[in-house]
Amino acid sequence: MLSLSHLALLLCANLASAARLTVSIPPSPPLLPNPSTLPPSTHAVLVGPPGVHYDVPIRRDSTFVFPDVAEASYLLTLHSRDYFFPPLRVDVSKAADESQQQTIQAWQTFRGNEWDNKGPHYGSGKGELQLQIQPSGHKEFYQERGGFNIIGFVKSPMILMALVSAVMIFGMPYLMDNMDPETKAEFEEMQKSSPLTGSGGAANQIQNFDLAGWMAGKGTSSGSGASGGGNSKKR
Amino acid sequence: MLLPLIAAAFLLAGSGSAVFTDEAWNVDYHYALLGQPKQSTSFFHQPNPSSRASLVYTLSERGVLGAVNPRDGAVVWRQVLLAGASAHNASFLRAGEGQDVVISGIGSQVAAWSAADGRQAWSVDFPGPLEDVEILELVDGKDTSGAKDAVALSGGDQPVVQRLDGATGSVKWQYQLSGTDVPYQVSASTTEVFVISLHKTILGYLKLKVTSLDPVSGHKMDEHMLSSENELATADTIVTVGANSASPINAWTDSTHSVLKVNIMGTKGISSFDIEKHGGEAVERVKLHAPYHINSLSHFLVHYETATSHWAEVFHVDLKRGQVEKAYSLPKLAGRGAFSTSTSDANVYFTRVTSDQVMTVSSASHGVLGKWSVGGFNVAAANDETAEPIHAVSEVSIRGDTVSAVRSAVLLSTGDWVLLRDGSPVWSRPEMLASTVSAAFATPAEVEALVQQLEAEAHSNPIEAYIHRLTRHVQDLQRLPAIIMSLPQKVVQGFLGTSVDGDITSDSFGFHQIIACATQDGRLIALDAGNPDKVLWNQQIADLQPGQTWQPSVSSPKGGVVEISSKASAGVQYNASSGEQLVSILPIDVTADQAAQEVKYAMHDGGLEATVDSSTTWHFMPTSGERIVSLVPRPLNDPVASIGKVLGDRRVLYKYLDPNLALLVTANDAATAATFYVLNTVSGAILYSNVHTGVDLSSPISSMLSENWFTYSFTAEASGDSPKGHQLVVGELFESLVANDRGPLSSTANYSSMQTGTEPFTLTKIYQIPEPISKMAVTRTRQGITSRQLLAVLADSSAIVGIPYGVVDPRRPIGRDPTKDEQAEGLVRYSPVIDFDPRWYLNHQREVVGVKDTITSPALLESTSLVFAYGLDIFGTRLSPSFSFDVLGKDFNKFQMLATVAALAVATCVVAPLVTRKQVNTRWQFM
Repeated sequence: MLSLSHLALLLCANLASAARLTVSIPPSPPLLPNPSTLPPSTHAVLVGPPGVHYDVPIRRDSTFVFPDVAEASYLLTLHSRDYFFPPLRVDVSKAADESQQQTIQAWQTFRGNEWDNKGPHYGSGKGELQLQIQPSGHKEFYQERGGFNIIGFVKSPMILMALVSAVMIFGMPYLMDNMDPETKAEFEEMQKSSPLTGSGGAANQIQNFDLAGWMAGKGTSSGSGASGGGNSKKR
Repeated sequence: MLLPLIAAAFLLAGSGSAVFTDEAWNVDYHYALLGQPKQSTSFFHQPNPSSRASLVYTLSERGVLGAVNPRDGAVVWRQVLLAGASAHNASFLRAGEGQDVVISGIGSQVAAWSAADGRQAWSVDFPGPLEDVEILELVDGKDTSGAKDAVALSGGDQPVVQRLDGATGSVKWQYQLSGTDVPYQVSASTTEVFVISLHKTILGYLKLKVTSLDPVSGHKMDEHMLSSENELATADTIVTVGANSASPINAWTDSTHSVLKVNIMGTKGISSFDIEKHGGEAVERVKLHAPYHINSLSHFLVHYETATSHWAEVFHVDLKRGQVEKAYSLPKLAGRGAFSTSTSDANVYFTRVTSDQVMTVSSASHGVLGKWSVGGFNVAAANDETAEPIHAVSEVSIRGDTVSAVRSAVLLSTGDWVLLRDGSPVWSRPEMLASTVSAAFATPAEVEALVQQLEAEAHSNPIEAYIHRLTRHVQDLQRLPAIIMSLPQKVVQGFLGTSVDGDITSDSFGFHQIIACATQDGRLIALDAGNPDKVLWNQQIADLQPGQTWQPSVSSPKGGVVEISSKASAGVQYNASSGEQLVSILPIDVTADQAAQEVKYAMHDGGLEATVDSSTTWHFMPTSGERIVSLVPRPLNDPVASIGKVLGDRRVLYKYLDPNLALLVTANDAATAATFYVLNTVSGAILYSNVHTGVDLSSPISSMLSENWFTYSFTAEASGDSPKGHQLVVGELFESLVANDRGPLSSTANYSSMQTGTEPFTLTKIYQIPEPISKMAVTRTRQGITSRQLLAVLADSSAIVGIPYGVVDPRRPIGRDPTKDEQAEGLVRYSPVIDFDPRWYLNHQREVVGVKDTITSPALLESTSLVFAYGLDIFGTRLSPSFSFDVLGKDFNKFQMLATVAALAVATCVVAPLVTRKQVNTRWQFM
């Protein structure tokens, strides 16, 4: 009997001093439809003033239980392999007198902001507090490599230019054939006079550039014309 | 035009730290370890009472509770119950028959864990250290429905026995032990709970005091002392006290192991048996193996060990007459052996594992029910060492009267945990690596041999060198057939992209480095970083007595050699590839500059003292009330490619590069402040210092110094107007903050720390990080051209992150967007919060638990750095902080390249006649 009464005393003492915090993870579709899939390494950490530090593992019912939290202001962080959880501020404050229980309060907190900058209130309780925290995101560990993408390939300027020139090469003769003679003559006239494609045009100049003549010191203006003429005569 | 390109290149470099899908699980390797299992806390158990599939559970010497799949040796789940535990910590692990929880006890906490998934069911804290935990199988002879209760005994100032509810952990009753007796163990039979404590007599001997309690109410029913005469001088010779069997027994021997005394718990009679002397050798250890089930036969086995042999005797307990009788004995065999107990219904089987056979006998008779020979354990061991079983747990399958199969999880003397199925090894777990305390990279000796031959050729006269070279090539020709044979395979592998990067002898990228690990229990183990599935060699190098510790440090003074030094002994060198001890210490050719003097510095009287030729040059004493927390010097081999930072407008900011830098951290416990100093270790000058107040000194403070920058992290305390949480500080030292200006150093070609005292200009930034960093390291590459990555060990997430330097760069502009020049450098606007991107996690989805330190080594490829982390788990990977720019990675699609070439060839063939015709036509038309 002695032991039993002792136990009762112990329990009473515990009730008076202990603040109990229970954090649960509710099912939160679509991110985490079933919290029982969280790995057993999931744990919750309460960081208080220097030296005060609680670390508890996840339980079977997807809760974290801190059975006895001392009076202080804490940063609550949940660590899981696959999910991010928002950090919380938990304050355990002193009871008004001996008979009453401590007050526990929880708010969201923002990293990098002053400690008094509190977010939404998560709840408060006398001697006991139950919280629900939902994950804020899924951890994506892997970077996909930019694989071969046919649309991206076609969209690249090099390919576009090649395609356009291919269309010009193959499409132009048909286009020319289908033209009526008048337009055709006009077009040919235009082409002759255009600086790029005429016999004295830039393209022809480059194509028929006489390197040896140029190296020998012949004038470019006369050289290109002469060599162009020479070539055509050979044919 | 160029600037955006450069900017793009920098941005790419910044994001170059991600783990790619095709590299994850291939490039990295991970041993999820538990630590060496203990015999008393390992067993096979069915996590789901309705299915027959069982897992192996253990609570290891390192305080890790885990479940291992006996099929493949993979860890199903694990929990670190006591970080930093050693073999001396008392720990208990029990599983009730047909229960879906296992109950652990370590330190002062009893906890129940879901056997299938490792989640906690409940936990209870005791006021004192735990002495024993047992499960109450039956209460008053009745099988309780649902969860079975546990009984726990705690010591300390107020020894107490508590009965804990199996479902919730709530206390059903407790019994306070009185007097000065030391609580020793608790045990339960069908009708009573026994508490055994050690009573010290006036003469200094021990006596066993048995207190029996009512399991329902917790009231004391009886108490008596066992007359152990003057045999028990210490608790070490108590073989066993109780077990959860049908008839718990106490057994002890005298200090010379000449007589065995057995008492059936609850009675006062003591049976005495003489221990036979087999040969002249003294018995060194006596162990007792008894079934752990309340319904099984009350038979037990006593295992005797001498230095070179072992044997066993089986005893039967006659419950009705209260007598213990010897039934039969198992013959003496040379070497060490392990016995394990298994039950099937009421029958009890003993399995004996030696280094060459596995044998199962029934407890009732000595007839052998099954016998298998063991070919080998398939583990690496030193040449002169044979792997011997230390202890084992077994599971037997019975068909009719014979044993059809037996599975044994055996701990070997090499530290490997091996599963034998019918005598053949199925898997092995290198659990000895869990206690690694120091590790180092070394180049393989084969690679070094070629280097030495080439050096010999370079230093001899031309004719000799030519002959040497010819003979070497002739010798190389012998390998030609093998190379030709493997050529087709290599080509195919090259096309399929499955080529593993060669073996250790033909390692062109330098990925095959040897990692030597020294463990707490005196072993040296080598792994190949390029082929980490296998332990290369494993040997005992220090003969440590139980309870003795050592602090080894591993290093590689030159290629192909591993050196171990500890406080007790000077360096001993080993061949990195074979593990042979190098007897002839090669003379070190001292061609060093005679003028150069070594400055040695060491901790001395709480301060730092530097000496040159045994005379003190400088002294660093922290101010009163401060203590030194850590000292991190700049790494010895820390190549820097560029002495300046090129800005966006092509101007240069010169780095303050000094090989003699160290980062010193001191703590002031009274003021909760931490001070960080950057010291010049030659002159003792303080180059930079900073004080942070409101620092949580009980949480880790990690620091790191490399190139011209340093970084440290700590946990800040809350105050109303400042943020609470974990902070990372990065500082960078420059010769001057004006571009294209070297400050006072501009005119000097050489300078010495001894003569000129130039002070750097330091830029620092503080960042808020989501969790504490317990250890920091930095990647290292061969020339230092590749950008560096800060490696941070996150203990809470069981992860290692590689933080790109661009993210923590102290030159990030504050309060404004970066200018165009800054953008070109890749600088982004400062934000006080850094979130660790999951893609920075080197371990991606793996969980790397208990990492103590991370080491890095350059590969032969400039882009790549090898990373190895140890502590509890072993983890290693290859990192390319600026992408793999000098090797074709997995993203290079060889098929696509070939297809492109083929398509172009076809297109050329098709288009060529068309073009010629067109050209000819043009000439005719226009000329």
